[in-house]
This record gives sequence, C-alpha cells and structure tokens, in this order.
Amino acid sequence: MSVTPELFIQTRQLCKQVALPGNTLNILTDINLTINRGDSVAIVGASGSGKSTLLGLLAGLDVPSSGEVVLAGQRIDTLNDDARAELRAQHVGFVFQSFLLLPALSALENVTLPAELAGQRDATARGKQLLELVGLSERMHFFPAQLSGGEQQRVAIARAFITQPAILFADEPSANLDSATGRRVEDLLFELNRSQGTTLVLVTHNPQLAARCQRQFLMDAGRLTEALPMAEGRSHVG
Amino acid sequence: MWAKVAWRLFWRELKNGELWVIAFALMLAVLTVVSLSGITDSVRSALMQRSSNFTAADKVLRSSSPFQPEILQQAEQLGLQTAQQIQFNTMLFAGDNMQLVNVKAVSSQYPLRGELLLDTAAGQNSIVAPGSVYLEARLAQILAVRVGDLLDVGAAKLKVGGIILEEPDAPLNLFGGQPRVMMHLSDVAATEVIQPGSRISYRYLFAGSEVKLKQLETDIKPLLNANDRWQQLDRQSAVGSALDRAERFLLLAGLLGIVLAAAAAAVAANRYSQRHQMAVAVIKALGVTAPLARKIYFSHLALVTGFASLCGLLLGLLANFAVQGILGQWIEGYQAVFSSKSAWLGISTALICSLLFSLRPVWRLTAVPAIEVLRQQNGDSRIDYWQLLSGSVAVLALMWLFSGDIWLSGMLFLACAGFGLCLLGFAAVLVRVAKPMAAGQSSALKLALANLRRRLWQNSFQLMTFSLALFLTLVLYFLRAELLEQWKQQVPENAPNQFLVNMTATEKDQIAQQLQQAGLATGTFYPMISGRVLAVNGEMLQEPEQDDGAASRSNQASKQQSSEQSAAQQSTAEPASGRQGFGRELNLSWLSELPANNQITAGQWFDGPAQVSVEQQQAERLQLKLGDKLTFAIGGQQFDATVSSFRKVDWNSLQPNFFMLLSPDLMEHFPATYLTAFYLPETQQSVLTALLKQFPTVSVISVAVILQQVTSIIDQVSLALTLILILVFAAAVLVLVAQVQATVEQREQELAILRTLGARGRFLRQAVLYEFAALGLLAGVFATILAEVLLAIVQMRMFQLPFNLHQSLWGLGPVTGVVLLTVLGALLLRGILQPTPASLIRRALHN
Repeated sequence: MSVTPELFIQTRQLCKQVALPGNTLNILTDINLTINRGDSVAIVGASGSGKSTLLGLLAGLDVPSSGEVVLAGQRIDTLNDDARAELRAQHVGFVFQSFLLLPALSALENVTLPAELAGQRDATARGKQLLELVGLSERMHFFPAQLSGGEQQRVAIARAFITQPAILFADEPSANLDSATGRRVEDLLFELNRSQGTTLVLVTHNPQLAARCQRQFLMDAGRLTEALPMAEGRSHVG
Repeated sequence: MWAKVAWRLFWRELKNGELWVIAFALMLAVLTVVSLSGITDSVRSALMQRSSNFTAADKVLRSSSPFQPEILQQAEQLGLQTAQQIQFNTMLFAGDNMQLVNVKAVSSQYPLRGELLLDTAAGQNSIVAPGSVYLEARLAQILAVRVGDLLDVGAAKLKVGGIILEEPDAPLNLFGGQPRVMMHLSDVAATEVIQPGSRISYRYLFAGSEVKLKQLETDIKPLLNANDRWQQLDRQSAVGSALDRAERFLLLAGLLGIVLAAAAAAVAANRYSQRHQMAVAVIKALGVTAPLARKIYFSHLALVTGFASLCGLLLGLLANFAVQGILGQWIEGYQAVFSSKSAWLGISTALICSLLFSLRPVWRLTAVPAIEVLRQQNGDSRIDYWQLLSGSVAVLALMWLFSGDIWLSGMLFLACAGFGLCLLGFAAVLVRVAKPMAAGQSSALKLALANLRRRLWQNSFQLMTFSLALFLTLVLYFLRAELLEQWKQQVPENAPNQFLVNMTATEKDQIAQQLQQAGLATGTFYPMISGRVLAVNGEMLQEPEQDDGAASRSNQASKQQSSEQSAAQQSTAEPASGRQGFGRELNLSWLSELPANNQITAGQWFDGPAQVSVEQQQAERLQLKLGDKLTFAIGGQQFDATVSSFRKVDWNSLQPNFFMLLSPDLMEHFPATYLTAFYLPETQQSVLTALLKQFPTVSVISVAVILQQVTSIIDQVSLALTLILILVFAAAVLVLVAQVQATVEQREQELAILRTLGARGRFLRQAVLYEFAALGLLAGVFATILAEVLLAIVQMRMFQLPFNLHQSLWGLGPVTGVVLLTVLGALLLRGILQPTPASLIRRALHN
C-alpha cells in the first residue's frame, strides 16, 4: 500500500474483534479512512460505538484484528509495541478525557515529561513557554491535585504539544469539564493546532465540538461514515 | 534523560509516601535478620564465655595420659593461652587427722577464665604458690589446721597456704564428694602420688578465639588417645537449656518476623504496581517503550531496596552494638563478637525480598499496555499465580537462609500456608454470611457489614493477612510468657540457695527447729546413704571403662548444680557393650511419697515392700525392665529390690534428685544422714555461721552464686525475647498498614459517592470504623483459635513444655484485633474521613 505525500493516516479494511466466551464481538468493521496532514477530524458517535477503539488503532496504541493502518508513511499494524511507541514519540500527541497527568509531578514536570523522555534538551524552557501559552505560568509548580479540572486539561494540552507532534489525538477533551471551561479548553486546542500546523483527530459525542473540525465522521455500531458538507449529504466511507 | 525522570519520579513517590511501606517492610526484614542473628550470636558467645568461667577456660581437653608437649606447642603456635591441671584423689595427713581429698594441681597460668580467690596470710589473692596447699573451708575444719600449718601430701610436706573462697571450676561432687585441695603443678612430682596404674586426670585448658579453638581441635586430633575428651557446655543444665529454648524462640520469632515483613513488602509492592498502572500506560502512550519503562520502575525498586537494606543494616548493627554493650556490663572482660555473617544474611534477605516479592509486580506494571489510557479500567486484581509462586519460594528461601534448617523452615512454611488457606476459607464463608445481616443500609453498622460483604475477595484476603499477623504476634507473646514462666519456676524467687548435708537424725530435728526459729523455711529432709548397685537379676554388673569424668558426672544428688560445671563429653571412644555398672557408690534415698518434681513414666509408685524406683535414663543405661531385681550393697550388707517404676526427673529444678529411690522398709536398719535445702537471705548469713559452729560435722554447700548467675542469664535472654517480640509486632502492624493502604483509593471513591448522595460525615466515619472493628474482631477470633492450636503443638513438640489452655489469650486476641484494626483504620483513613465532600470528590476523581 502506498501513501501519497499529503496523506498522514490511512486505514484499509480495518477490523477489531474481541473474543468472548461463546462468540466474537465485532467492535470495528471494515474501516477505510484517509486523513491528510493538517486536517482536523472529528469522530462522533454514541458511547460504546467504537470511537475510542478506532482512536487507539489510529494512534498505534493497539493493533487491529485485521486490516492495515498507515501512520506517517509507516504501516503500524505490523510493528511491535516498542516500535509503535517510538513512532508515537516522534509523531503523536495525546489529550485524554480524564487528563491523565502524573500526580507525583508538578504541572511543568508533567508538560516536559515526553520531551525529557525523548531526550530533548530544551524541554524546561519549552515547557514554560507552553504553560504560558495555556495561561498557567503562575501555576507551573502546582501539582495536579492542586489544580482545577480545566487547569489540568490545559496542562495536558501543553504536554501534548511539547514534542511538536505531527498529529494530535484527543479523546473527549472537554467531556469532564463544565461547558464554559470546556469551551475555553477547546479554543486552546484548536488555536494551538492551527499555530503548530498539527493534524487533529478528536473523538467526541459533542456535535458542537465536532462541528469545529474540517471533517466529521460518525461511528455507529463499529461502522464509520463521513458526514459530507451540508449540500452533499452523508456518504459512507467504511 | 530517563535517569533524570526516573530519579524525579522516585523522589516524588518517596515524598508522597508511596514507597515507604515497601521500604519499611524491606528494612524491617533486614533489621530482623541482622539484629536477630547478631544478638543470637552475641548471647550465645556471652553464654559460652560465661560458661568458660565455670570451666576456667574456653575449652578443656581431659586425658588420662600424661601431658603431651606437642599439644601445648600447637596451641601456643596458634596464639592460644594454655594452662595445665592434674586431678587425683589422695589421703591428706595433718598430725593424727587424715582425710581422703581431691587434689587439683594447677600451672601458674590457671585460671584462664573466671576468678580464683584464695584467703591467704597475705590477704585475698589468686596465686597458687609452689610449696603450698589451699584447702576448702570444711576440710580445714575436719583436719583442724590453720594457715601456715604443715600437711603431708603423699611423700611431700606442704604448708597450708590459705583457704579456697572461690574456684571457677569448683568440684562437682557437692554431696558426698571428697573435699578439694589445690596445689601447684610443680609440687606434684615430689608427692610421688603418680604411680603406674593410679587414676589421674590430666586437663589441658585453652582460651582464645572460637576460630582458633576450632583449628586446634582439628590440628591435634591425630595426637589424641581413645579416651581423651573435649569438655563442652552441658545443654541439659539450666543455662544450657535456657539458651537452647531462647535460641529456638529467637529463631522461630525471626522466621515469623521475616514472613510478616515479606508479606508487607509483597502487599505494598502490589499496591504500588496497581496504583501506577495508569502512569505507565500514559508514559507508554507518550512514546516510552517497555524496556525504558522497565528501566524507570526497576531503578525505583533498586533504589528502595538499596536504601532499605542500608537502613536495616545500620539499625541492625546498632541493635547489635547495644546488646554487646549490655553484655559487656554483664560479663566482666566480655569480648565483643561481630561477624559479617549477619550483614550478609541481611543483604541476602533484602535481595530475596526485593527480587521475589517485588520484581513480579513491577514487571507486571511495566507490561501494562498503552491502550489502558483509553480503557481506564481499575487495576487488575486477579491473582497472579507467578507472584504467589515466587513469593512462596522467597518465604521458604528466607526461612532456610536464616535458620539453616530446611526441615523447620519447610514445616513452618507449610503450617503458615495451611493456616492461610484455612483462614481464607473461613473468611469467605463468614463474609458471605454477613449478607443477610446487612440487608438495607440504614445504619452505619449495616453499611459496614454490607461493605465487608461487597469486597468479598479483597476482604477475605485482608482478613487472612490480619489474622495471620495477629496470630503470629499472639503466638510469640504467649510463647515468650511461657518460657519466662518456666524459667521463673526453675529459679523462683527465694529458691533454695544453701544445701545442708551430712546431718544425723538427731541433728536434723535440731537444725530444723533452729532454722524455723530464724524464720527460714526448709524443704524436705532427704535421708541419704551411699551404696552400690551390684547386679541386675543376679547378673553382676561390669566395671565401666575408665572415665575420669564419669564418676563425678553421674553423681545423682543435685545434678542441677553439678551439671552447671560438669561436662557433657564428646567421647572419641566407641561405647562398650554389655550391662555396665556405675563403678562407684551412689547416693540412695528412700521416700514414701513421690517428690514433686518427679514423674512416673512407667509402673507404679511403691505399692509393696522391697521396691526401687529408677530414674529413666539410668534405667535405659542399665537396660532395666519393670519387675527386674536389683542387688544393692551398703556397707557390706546386700539386699534385693524389685523395680516398680521408672521416673522422669526435672534436672533443671534446683532440688535434690536421686537416680534410685528405695521403699522405706528396705532402709529401716541403715544409719542414714540427711540432706535439705533452704533459702538464706544475704542478711541472715550469721544464722548459718552459728549453725555450723554448733554442728561442725554438718556441711553446707552454697549455690547462691550459681543461682545469681542463672538468674542474670535468664534476665538477659528475657530482654532479647522482648526486643524480638517488639520487632515482630512492628512487622505485623506494617502488614496491616500495607493492607489498609491498599484499599484507600477504593474507599475514597465510595466515600465520595456516598457523601455526594448526602451521607453525613459522622455516619460514614462510624461505618468505616465499624467495618474495621468487625474485621478486627473476626481476625482476632481466628488468630486466637489458630494460636491456641499452634501453641499446643509448639509447646509440646518444640519446647517440650506441658500444654495448658491459655485463658487470657481468648480475651486478648479478639480485643487486640478490634483495638488495633480500629485505631489503624482511623489513623490511616483520617485523610479521607475528615475532608469536605468537594475535596473528597476531587481526589476521588483524580485517582
């Protein structure tokens, strides 16, 4: 399978099944998807529809039962855990629904963690810069337990951008926040995404948030359909 | 860069208290091993050094052949101190008076250990001067001589140099033995006592380090004759058996302490692993490979292990120093013993604990897949059979390493595992039973019971560990008390410290009256007469092989005192076959009632005329059966007695004991002397002096010094037992802490939900405390039942103590369980029981 230069993610006949006692559960069925560099993509769907599973496969956190995933020009479904981890270190950033900051580290240390682990030397300076960008320069030495939910998510966003990833995966980034705080976090996410030229793939069940992305996909019972622009109606991409 | 991140995470975890429980557990295991092995070594060495005082040397070689210069040269080459001693019996003449005496001729270096005190014309000193003899006080009385008088010893005329006040290796024959005379070795030749065929005992005395003494033993083996014997501490003596039991107790306590500390380490490592699963998933999602994650978390484990080992080692060594200090005060000239063995044992313990208990949880931790960041499930709480296996191997390895006894380790391990399984079964049943009781949650108590049932598996496991920890502590507490009680009984306050012997029947009554008037209580007056056992069922007994020590060793009266100084001898000769006699006279006694500290093991106490009751070891030695006929000879008269019973005698009791007790009818016509024992307080010494003046033929034997020494040894051993109990208790508390901490997160979330739903703080606090109280009660009851069972087994099998039900255990066990767990629960959970709902909810979400 070859990928044209503008393509950043491509999947072909991607399936994920889980073996249960007595039967097999199809979580994802025949997902064919292409995402170009710089795109912002939303995957929407009800709880349990398979959105997060797809996100995990696209980001190389998990491997499919069948089918192919290409990330940054490299087929990742055939790579082992460590090779996928190295690829993630080079290209991928994450923002999670429940922030997932390490409680033992301060805000600044959480932000600089990926850069330090990747051996980057200017991690602290860049971390401070990013915390300033997300409006938390005053609280850089606070620990997660001392920060509000919104503040924690802003730290998580700063952490996601510190390695200057080519693609950012966000899993329900504002679901755990009140609407006003959620909106501020979303603004920040899109702003940074734009300024850094990052490809954004976000999973949400919030239509307003999805609408802010260039492309929206609907996940329903393991099948993915792309919502075409208003005039074109909805087309099945899976 | 990973090292920087790893160090930062480690430092923060340390500050947050995450790693402390693992560190404390490892430290406690190391501390237990280092201090215990060190303290046991020190106490053993102290007792050996102390017992050296009883033998005047660290090691004594007895021989019936003249001194071999090669042996002494070898010892000197090894840098050991040496002294020589010759012992023989001879007649001593002072004018018309004469007396058979036991002479001890010593070289100038004598004694190498302990103190010799002589009352000479020049005052008190310890110099055995050539040309002089030194007499026991009663001998001076018998011979009516004073310091400066001349005596005939064989062909030599020697001057009375002084009276022996204290002699480290005092004669063993306290009752009926010949009085002691000491002289210089260089005068022996002049006495011409040593002739071919005379019974002479030659003794080489050595002093120095244990290693060198062992070396000497190996080096001179080819030089020894068949009848040469090394003298060693008699394990049957009060000191020996106290030490023996204490060592067993310390070993057992140490093993249990290690098991507890190891369990705490395992629980804490599991908790650490579960709590950090999300952190590992996050860093893996951020691009960290599994090898890098392993580097980070294994470095934490290595740092904790290193830190804990170091602290444990230092504290253990500190404890050793303290014990050495105490021992130094207790034993004059005590040589401190430090071996690297305890340090190596400690480090090995830390490594085994760390590798086999903590490696597996940390390995599992680093294997958490990155996808967990999206799944966000709670930690995997399934049983890890590999960890169970590696943990079991670790416990067994630790026990073996520490005890060096695979059998004891294996049995104890199986017992712990068996008890664990029983407890788990009981706990699961009980927690299920709690279900109907907990219907509805309208009261704090009901909520507590419902909580207990809901965390069924977790609670069963917790209950098992709580019960085990309490059970081990209770067992040790009661065993310690039992041992102390036994020792106390051996040496009760006001135990007889003076023995009066050689009283006639008339003197006996007068003396009893006088002692009573002085307010001193006497025990039984035992009639006593010397006699020989000639034959068994008409078959004459053979003379025993020449054994210079046997005669004194087998002296039956007051074996206790004699065995303090006597030797259990390692014979280099093959035992002779056939029925051998004692080769000397025995002290025979006759009583109508069985003495209190004797126990019939076979047959009946006298139920007819002409019967004899035989001490069971001697019965074995003479290959006796009940109904056998023994022929005795007393002063030319012979008579027969039928063996009616065998007796077990408590040689540790400080009471007169006899090998042969005859039925009173047999002895009616023999003139007997009497023996009794009584306690004489320091302040009433004058009573004794007056008594001796009035009855010059009565001899007094004081065992006050020996008693004091035994008491002081027991005091020291008791202190060591208490220290170890504290250590084991600390380990048990640590297990409880680790277990309670392991549930904190889950409780935090539940409390947050309940508070959000409107439950009042007081209600929740009560519910949590009731839950712990209920757990404590259950654990206490289980622990009590198991402790009673194990105490019975250990008491009877390991310590040879009689079994008795421990009533106080049934109160103490459950109460300790309730109090300890409720207090620990309240302390450990105060953080989540006190805060406002908002902060609790935030923290719960944060987890």
